Amino acid sequence: MTMRIQAALRVLAATLLSFGVGPPSVAAQELQVDRDAQNVVRFTSRTQVDEFEGVTDKIDGYVLLDGEPLSATTGGDDTELYFEVDLASLDTGIGLRDRHMRDDYLEVKRYPYASFKGKITHTEVSGSGGAHVTAAGTFTVHGVSMEREIACDVTPTGPGYRTTCGFPVLLSDHRIDIPKVMFLKLSNEIQVDVQFTVSPAGNRPGRKP
Amino acid sequence: MKALSLALATTLTLVPLAASAQEPPVRWQRRSGPTEVPVTVFHSTQSANLPTAETLRKGELLFEISHRFQPAMSQGSHALWGLDGPVTNRLGLAYAPADRIMVGVLRSNLDDNLEFNAKARVFEGGRESTPFMVGVMGGVALNTQTIGGPGYNGDETQAYAQLILNTRVGGRLALGAVPTFLHNPRIADATAKNAFMLGVNGAFYLSSMAAVFGEWLASGARPDYNDESLTLKDAITLGLQLETGGHFFKLMVTNSTRANPAQVLPGTPYSFTPHEWRFGFNITRVLKIGG
Repeated sequence: MTMRIQAALRVLAATLLSFGVGPPSVAAQELQVDRDAQNVVRFTSRTQVDEFEGVTDKIDGYVLLDGEPLSATTGGDDTELYFEVDLASLDTGIGLRDRHMRDDYLEVKRYPYASFKGKITHTEVSGSGGAHVTAAGTFTVHGVSMEREIACDVTPTGPGYRTTCGFPVLLSDHRIDIPKVMFLKLSNEIQVDVQFTVSPAGNRPGRKP
Repeated sequence: MKALSLALATTLTLVPLAASAQEPPVRWQRRSGPTEVPVTVFHSTQSANLPTAETLRKGELLFEISHRFQPAMSQGSHALWGLDGPVTNRLGLAYAPADRIMVGVLRSNLDDNLEFNAKARVFEGGRESTPFMVGVMGGVALNTQTIGGPGYNGDETQAYAQLILNTRVGGRLALGAVPTFLHNPRIADATAKNAFMLGVNGAFYLSSMAAVFGEWLASGARPDYNDESLTLKDAITLGLQLETGGHFFKLMVTNSTRANPAQVLPGTPYSFTPHEWRFGFNITRVLKIGG
């Protein structure tokens, strides 16, 4: 009787695995933004008469790697990433300017987050365990989405990775109008620079419910 | 068969748990909500002369230059509608050592009036549709150029205290009431007296960057300190306000040619009729000091 049960279990397990239920052949790794790290999201507007920055540390999200650790083969449909920035937390150093940014340009009550959702398309390993990672996906701000490719430098830190990215954003691409009175003070092209740390998600809150 | 059913049930219970630990997340669970946006009633820290409960943020510095042109606009091209001057000038600096607290200094060329003041926002609340703010402000002013003349006792010092009540209704209309206590409203008197007055102000926001505004200082009739034959009237101002990321530009018509609060509050010799309108402006710039 015991032999018959064991045989049945073997058949059942084989059947389930053949349908893709069960552990993949390569262990996946979920990494999540470490909110205790020194995370910085900075945008910079430069015109001939004015330059200012907006800064926040309110970035959150995750990345799912298809293999562990990060390697030259990392990428493809088995990877997934999603990051979002709390736009109402952006601080330009002047409260009046923050209010204009929140109310007039970003309209944060309607569109509270900027986000990037996509997958890793290419990983180029560099020295000391770091990598140059390219991700493709949907960048959304002000309720308008654009397909974007974003390149980041990744370096190991502790159990996770320190990630540094930079890319330009055209306000006009996202239907953010600049009032005529402000065209000398606010550039249509905004440089966005992001630095954050991701670490293994474990069972911390924020992981998939 | 019974054993097989047990095994199947056990396996089906355990396999999803194992699978869920390894599946890619299909949706994101936020660990916190979006940052709460600060409440705003009046956008600016003052209307024309009256304070609002709005304050600077810690570390911010406000620089102000304001003019009140003394000739009436009704003098026409002969006086370039008042812009030929002379002009009452006000220069101001304010700094926020903490959020909701400001300290400032004002200097007017009228009697070389120098004022030190402080303002604090002590309450903010109400509904999102009708936010409410309360502030307090006080100042001490001194005429560093003594006026002199018969009847003057040499006391050129004035002081005032204000309670600031602000609310916003309908999203676009900000309203304020400023009960005011003023010590020594008429510096020409041999004995300093006290006076109570009520300021009311409002702003209608045409957009987030433009507004029309007005204020009324109900100060009560009293003789002018320079000309006993003149009875002071309430100072009234109507204007247009434009704001950018750090500037306010306010253009106004008013019946007062005075600039510093302790000078404006007692009243003005001119009526608020178009014939007596004067042109004026306030320009302020907010800067961040340090990191």
